[in-house]
Amino acid sequence: MMQIESHKSKTKGKDILSVVDPELFKITLAEKFGSKPKPIVQIGETVKKYQMIARSEEGYLAPAYAPVSGVIEKIEKSRQLDDSEALTIFLRNDRKDISVEDPLSSQDARDPESIRKIIEKAGIVGMGGAEFPAALKYDLDGKKVDTFIINGAECEPYLTSDYSLMKRSAAEILEGIHIIDKILNADKIVLAIEKHNEDLKEVFDPLLEKEIYKKISIEIVPDEYPQGGELQLTKTITGIEIANGDVPLEKGVIVSNVGTVYAVYEAVVKNKPVIERVITLSGESVRSPGNYVVKIGTPVEHILENLSINVENKILVSGGPMMSPHLRNVSAPINKGTLGILVLPKENINRLNCIWCGYCVDVCPMYLMPMKYDQFYRQRDYKKMEAYNIEDCIECASCEYICPSNVPLMESILNGKNKLKN
Amino acid sequence: MQLIRKQYNPFIRKNDSTTLVMSDVMIALLPSILITWLAFGFAPLVVILVSVGTALLAEYLFDLIFRKSTSSLGDGSAIVTGILLALTIGPFTPLPIVAVGAFFAVVFGKMLWGGLGRNTFNPALIGREFMVVLFPAVMNSSAIFNNPEYVRGGELNVFNNEFWDSLVFHPIGAMGEYSPLLLVIGGLYLLLRRRISWHIPLALWISFSLMLFFFRDHNILFNIGGVLLGTIYMATDMPTSSSTHAGKIYFGAMVGVVALLCLLFGATRGYLSYVILLLNAFVIPINWIFRPRTWGKDVNWGKRAVQAVLLTIGIIAATFAILWLHHAEGMLYVMLFYALYTIVRFVLSNENDPWGKLRKIKRNLQ
Repeated sequence: MMQIESHKSKTKGKDILSVVDPELFKITLAEKFGSKPKPIVQIGETVKKYQMIARSEEGYLAPAYAPVSGVIEKIEKSRQLDDSEALTIFLRNDRKDISVEDPLSSQDARDPESIRKIIEKAGIVGMGGAEFPAALKYDLDGKKVDTFIINGAECEPYLTSDYSLMKRSAAEILEGIHIIDKILNADKIVLAIEKHNEDLKEVFDPLLEKEIYKKISIEIVPDEYPQGGELQLTKTITGIEIANGDVPLEKGVIVSNVGTVYAVYEAVVKNKPVIERVITLSGESVRSPGNYVVKIGTPVEHILENLSINVENKILVSGGPMMSPHLRNVSAPINKGTLGILVLPKENINRLNCIWCGYCVDVCPMYLMPMKYDQFYRQRDYKKMEAYNIEDCIECASCEYICPSNVPLMESILNGKNKLKN
Repeated sequence: MQLIRKQYNPFIRKNDSTTLVMSDVMIALLPSILITWLAFGFAPLVVILVSVGTALLAEYLFDLIFRKSTSSLGDGSAIVTGILLALTIGPFTPLPIVAVGAFFAVVFGKMLWGGLGRNTFNPALIGREFMVVLFPAVMNSSAIFNNPEYVRGGELNVFNNEFWDSLVFHPIGAMGEYSPLLLVIGGLYLLLRRRISWHIPLALWISFSLMLFFFRDHNILFNIGGVLLGTIYMATDMPTSSSTHAGKIYFGAMVGVVALLCLLFGATRGYLSYVILLLNAFVIPINWIFRPRTWGKDVNWGKRAVQAVLLTIGIIAATFAILWLHHAEGMLYVMLFYALYTIVRFVLSNENDPWGKLRKIKRNLQ
């Protein structure tokens, strides 16, 4: 792991504001983790806020909810933030703000299994970016949870959405943790916060004096990248090293992002499905950087227009600058895993030969030799990439960040992995 | 909105560059360069200037003829190669020979391999070896190392102790060997700037000292300055040394072992140059055998140990082969074979496409 410039001062400590709702929402229905969500509404149908508009018949429920009341305008394929296509429900906002009375019926949820069902029904996924369905993660199947880790590390530069959420809603997050623990019944619960956000301890400490929270402790972890990675954080907190691709629960560990925990609170206590999230809007030329609550399905261009952000000749990133993809299509909507929108200056990267300095080997959190992937990618020798365990790469991009020669390591790794898959 | 070409993460980078890496090496070597003036006035500085100038010119011309991209002079590696080459030779080496050495260092040590980073062997040491085999009479004469007419400061007398004085300033041998103290200070600077890591120098000194201790009955003579120059600045050369921590320790330790074998078996002049070049050839298997343990995975340590033992046997065998060639006056043929190999390799590699470029030049001339 390595030290990294944080760039967080632009938005850190700013209150969470909201962005005005757009006229047209785009709810994308990506097929993920074995579920195939299909629309359960018709074109022309009028829907209420919090009304379920899509769900999967097979596997995990994967529901989608109307973020506002309005009319279904069309249902067709459109591009998502990562440039892939998915079936999308276009919802025209009627500005009447009529809500469904009791969207989740969560007041009856008392026993672990019914709480887990509410989490599934609310459409809660990993809000830290992975978007893994929370209800599947909390399906213990008889296994024992030793440590439940709440990931508040937020190691990606620029991003402060988790920090601002923890600062604003500390009590709600603790309540969310308490609710999830009814399912997990963990021996130990740790809320992990990076050193630079240590001031949050003052917010949490008085609340933690409550008897029901006595299992929860706060642990300050070093300001290192990628400390917030599930595997790295697990090692820091428990000392257990989990191989990439293995399930942490097998080793008695469950890690959830603070955003996910907050969504559980909203669903179980407030009876609200996931229709919005907090994102960080930042970058080098944004005049109004900050943390904003945005409804899922809001097109990026609406946010940019609303906050009059000029993106001419800039690079847009949907999330943190280290791990997130280049955002090329501004008409794509915000989804549940979007951590932020960054507007960064376009740069000319001077690509030189690898000089074998070994910096990438020093910083690789998975102890790989990233420079080898560049060599084998150039030689089109994908088999050798496998010999150097490319499948264990978590794509954190530390290697290319530190590289003095700007070797296209991530391009080699991502394309190499794709070639090996096919 | 206009779309720009897809770019891959990350979108922020550390403010660092190959040029900064090379600049740090230059800064580290600056004191050692300046102290040569104290010994012999301007003569050593002229040798360094000729070496650096020729290296730059060779790289510029090679780029102009064979490479489609713009000149690679900006990375500063030619300057470092020029300086390092000059520091391994005597201050009174005839300038045309210096120029030939610098030319061979850049062209056969680096450019024919595909430029900085693609080379297997340390360019400065390649240049030096070519000088030795092409001009043996001059390179083996003591006249290139000393010239009474030019002596300025002479020996130092601060500690009233010959050994301690010689660690500070002792103008004997090659230009870079005059001041062990300044070499170490430069090394500490590189260590602080993380341009070198402690693994290679430390492992090298430990293994070298242990070997000296085992063979203390033999009369082994060596120059501390020379070993330091090799340890800190040559054996740690990024492209031609190991890139993993364990690999670096093995690499450094083997340099120490092989260096002492050379001293024991009579290759006393320029032995460290042989040793480092020899180890350079084994960097790929060293990096493979001493690769880090992947996170969360087990390693078959037994298999790795067997591989390491076989590798060590291979390196020792190669050492004796080189020693035999050295005594049989065969190094000239080794270097000529090397030159031929790099040329054939360059011609056959698709990436460089020399024929296409030569055709282009021909078209331009017509």
